Amino acid sequence: MNAIDWVVLIVTLLSIILYGVWKSRGMKNIEAFLLADRKLPWYHVGLSVMATQASAITFISAPGQGYNDGMRFIQFYFGLPLAMVVLCVTFIPIFKKLNVFTAYEYLEKRFDNKTRSLTAFLFLLQRGVSTGVTIYAPAIILSTILNVDINYTTLLMGGLVILYTVYGGAKAVSYTQMLQMGIIFSGLLVAAITVVHLLPPGVGFSDALHIAGKMGKMNIIDTKFDLNNKYNLWSGVIGGFFLQLSYFGTDQSQVGRYLTGRSVAQSRLGLLMNGFVKIPMQFLILLIGTLVFTFYQYHQAPLFFNKTEVAKIENSPYHTEWKNLETRFGDVYHQKQADVNKLVAALHSNNLPAQDSLRGTLQTADKQTQSLRKEATALMLKNNPRADTNDTNYIFLSFVTRYLPVGLVGLLIAIIFLASMGSTASGLNSLASATVIDFYRRLVRPEAMPKVYLSASRWATIAWGLFCIVVAFYAHKLGNLIEAVNILGSLFYGTILGIFLVAFYLKKVGGTAVFIAAILAETFIVFAWLNDLMAFLWLNAIGCLLVMGIALLIQWLSADQARPQGGTEAPLITGEASTYFNN
Amino acid sequence: MSDEKPPIGNSWKALYVAVITALAALIVVFYFFGKHFG
Repeated sequence: MNAIDWVVLIVTLLSIILYGVWKSRGMKNIEAFLLADRKLPWYHVGLSVMATQASAITFISAPGQGYNDGMRFIQFYFGLPLAMVVLCVTFIPIFKKLNVFTAYEYLEKRFDNKTRSLTAFLFLLQRGVSTGVTIYAPAIILSTILNVDINYTTLLMGGLVILYTVYGGAKAVSYTQMLQMGIIFSGLLVAAITVVHLLPPGVGFSDALHIAGKMGKMNIIDTKFDLNNKYNLWSGVIGGFFLQLSYFGTDQSQVGRYLTGRSVAQSRLGLLMNGFVKIPMQFLILLIGTLVFTFYQYHQAPLFFNKTEVAKIENSPYHTEWKNLETRFGDVYHQKQADVNKLVAALHSNNLPAQDSLRGTLQTADKQTQSLRKEATALMLKNNPRADTNDTNYIFLSFVTRYLPVGLVGLLIAIIFLASMGSTASGLNSLASATVIDFYRRLVRPEAMPKVYLSASRWATIAWGLFCIVVAFYAHKLGNLIEAVNILGSLFYGTILGIFLVAFYLKKVGGTAVFIAAILAETFIVFAWLNDLMAFLWLNAIGCLLVMGIALLIQWLSADQARPQGGTEAPLITGEASTYFNN
Repeated sequence: MSDEKPPIGNSWKALYVAVITALAALIVVFYFFGKHFG
């Protein structure tokens, strides 16, 4: 990186962190530390919710996903706006009315302590691992740029976030996230415009989309119902709805963000803002990936984007085979480039038969490219069975550092760091919340002074930060990170959501029934995933429905049909929710 | 809490309908976008 890029990177990062720390000074109790005194306006809530979900993985993996797999990943987000509406109608009024710190507190009021503890434990397990992955993602960048061991960069990234989250808590998280999202939106727009400007003269934005589209990357909507297809309209709307509802409704890293709103109305509007803006933002990120794909039809892409792995194979006994693959890869590229030029001419002359014919030719050539990349990874594995053969996370980074102008490289790297810091900070803050509120305050020291809980929250933040750093050391085993995080979430979210939906809607079901149902459902979900029974998005819907169905069955089989414990304290979704909806 | 009006717009119901309509519109636009460039 150029010196100017370093200046842009360091100034952007430091100014945002210092702003967050300055705004969060004078922390006196856990209300301030965990929920920013519940005084934030809706736009703070909305941007904070978006920044929490959009980790560095979003900006590293998603363009790579667009490059490799086209635009179809956008369907994954179609359930999100629907989930936002359900959250506004049901979850927010209840959480706000009970004045809870964590979502799991509600479960004790509605069921019992064991159900609360089980749910909080499942959350800690999956969020702890996921937050480790969000630390690892930007550590790859530093490692590539500075050419140092990734373990050191992981320690540096994790350490920075721990420092400002321990000092400023939820306020620091929210204030930094608001600025982060502003910079992220601007940077993405500039990046998209720059990619189009880097295309050869005579090739415009529309041509770039046509080239990517004719090569199969504009596969945005797939209406065919297929349980084993990861991304289609139905898995996105139905499976995605359950995943997003679980994530935003029961994951404390998100619940903790909208509980910072100063009223029900402010929290709701923040979530609705997310419902409006999230899909267009993801569309732009994936589109950048497909534009980078078009760019590489005019500039030869590397056979493999991870330079570290390439260096290993080049210095191995398989050096000659690798060079042969690179030569064949270059030959296919040159042939493809000639065909792309013919396609652009056909587009400009509106020659439809030629466009149709070239579509087939180019898709065949792209398959050859993919086949050569597979041969390359097979060779890497032959040389080293532990080689990292997934380079999706390196595609966009490689493009940014090689082709973007000075200054913009620093800004885009800063965006990736900021995104990571935002979601990691939310993760640590929520892990500390669940640890202190659902375990320490509930089971260890129920009647301590406020400063004891504030101190415990800070120590819990440090402990979880260290745990996440250890997870990050092993995250490279997970392949495509954005998928890995979503698969991990899908393993637990369905069960957790099922518990909450039983709590809200099935008033006759008690704590023991839902507790057993949750354990059985989770066992099945892990079994289904290990045996590859269905695409991962469906695990959310199945897990949720299983908990509800089994809990109902157990309650029906048991003689006890009495009202559950705490039933008079914990509100259910009855007339109250419909009152909110009719406002 | 039930009497809280939204800070923007006339009613919560209108805002919810707007979010769902925007989603439907996006899906239709994406469908034709993909058809046009594919």
